[in-house]
Amino acid sequence: MKQTNDDIRLLLFMGIAVMLSLFASILLIFIFFQRKKYQYQQKIQRLHQTQQNQLIEAAVRSEETERHRIAEELHDEVGAILSASKLHLQGVKINVIDKNNEPRYEKGQELLDMAIKQVRGISHNLHSSILKEFGLNEAIRHFVEKITNNDLIFITTDLDDSYTTQANENDISIYRMVQELMNNILKHARPKKIHITSTYNHDALNISIFHNGKGLSHAQYEELKFNKQGLGLKAIQTRIILLKGEVSFNHKPEGYYINISIPRTITI
Amino acid sequence: MLIPLAILCLKKKQPAFNKPVVIYLWTALAINVTIDAIWKLKTILPHPYNTNNYLYNIHSIIRVLLFSSFFIKLNQQFLSKTKRIAPYIFLGFVLINFIFYQNFFDYGQLSSRLLSFEAVIMMFYCMQYYLFKITDDEEPSKKQPDFWIVTGLGIYYTVNFFIFLLYNELTLRLHNFAISLWNIHNFTYTILCVFIAKGLYETNE
Repeated sequence: MKQTNDDIRLLLFMGIAVMLSLFASILLIFIFFQRKKYQYQQKIQRLHQTQQNQLIEAAVRSEETERHRIAEELHDEVGAILSASKLHLQGVKINVIDKNNEPRYEKGQELLDMAIKQVRGISHNLHSSILKEFGLNEAIRHFVEKITNNDLIFITTDLDDSYTTQANENDISIYRMVQELMNNILKHARPKKIHITSTYNHDALNISIFHNGKGLSHAQYEELKFNKQGLGLKAIQTRIILLKGEVSFNHKPEGYYINISIPRTITI
Repeated sequence: MLIPLAILCLKKKQPAFNKPVVIYLWTALAINVTIDAIWKLKTILPHPYNTNNYLYNIHSIIRVLLFSSFFIKLNQQFLSKTKRIAPYIFLGFVLINFIFYQNFFDYGQLSSRLLSFEAVIMMFYCMQYYLFKITDDEEPSKKQPDFWIVTGLGIYYTVNFFIFLLYNELTLRLHNFAISLWNIHNFTYTILCVFIAKGLYETNE
């Protein structure tokens, strides 16, 4: 009788032990596979992200190449034709009999001068030659100088000159973002005052654009960047993704701030 | 039981698949309170009514039906037909067993056969859940409320299967040992409740 009772006890404990170890094994296998699956999904996601970045990079590069090509065409072809036209026009002699045509002749020359100036301006704007030769800060200053009109708008800069270019492509993207943001501010916010500042430390380059017009909140930016019409904001977002940076729109009592932060180690 | 119910008060909105678990918690609370009340009033209550063994049988049937519903509501495309048939097989077994072999309102003992068959059915559900998750291509999310509930059930039934299977035999041969074994059952039931609480807490809703 006692032997049977002991057998039952043994059977019970053995049974529980076997069942528990079986369950523990299944649980371990389950956790192992779940972890593997998770790691695999993470890898896929990283690959997807890399692929997306490469696509963005290609798009930005081709846009820059296209800008460069158009700038060269404008400068070398259209600019040259316009200069030649001006030369020919200057060769035309106005007689006393043609006195009536003199104002038209002078107006024509004036318009031609304006066209040459405009083409040159557009070409320089697209080409960003100052950026390549003198760096980001100088390009921003030059751009600001061009658009400043002291009667209507007061634009100032306070840029950190300790900034040194790490990759020229990055600077082009940063410059284009500043250009786009400034154009947007001038077009939509109608401010009286704009102030651009930059600080450079061991982590990142931080650019802040302040204006006292009617700006955007970050929520509005988030909404508009997916809007089909908001091509400029979409372009900014694309470049921000490419540079692995951050852009934020803040509203304070004194005005609106747009902060761009680009990590230092980024190279395209 | 109060641990998952407290969590339930904090996270009232639960996904559809957790509804049977929520119903189970309230039902189990009522049954367990009744079991305890009968046990405490054993000497006061008249003879055929001072046993709580039939409540364990009722608890077992409710548990299988509600947790079967939980597994079916998880909507995992794996052994779907078997999962839907399992509660009917269990009900068939209950009818045959209590019509021909055992008395549902047995005064002296709870049904070892019923509880161990319940354990088999529930272990099948747990195993198929893990197998499905292993073979499934879907990305595992960080919060898996169903995982905690299934693991709690898995621990409870794997430990208790042999206790359930041999319990009638043990009460006859080793009465005191059988009573002390019930502490293991109670401990694993507490673990089950904690895991259910974790499952209810992890819900995203």
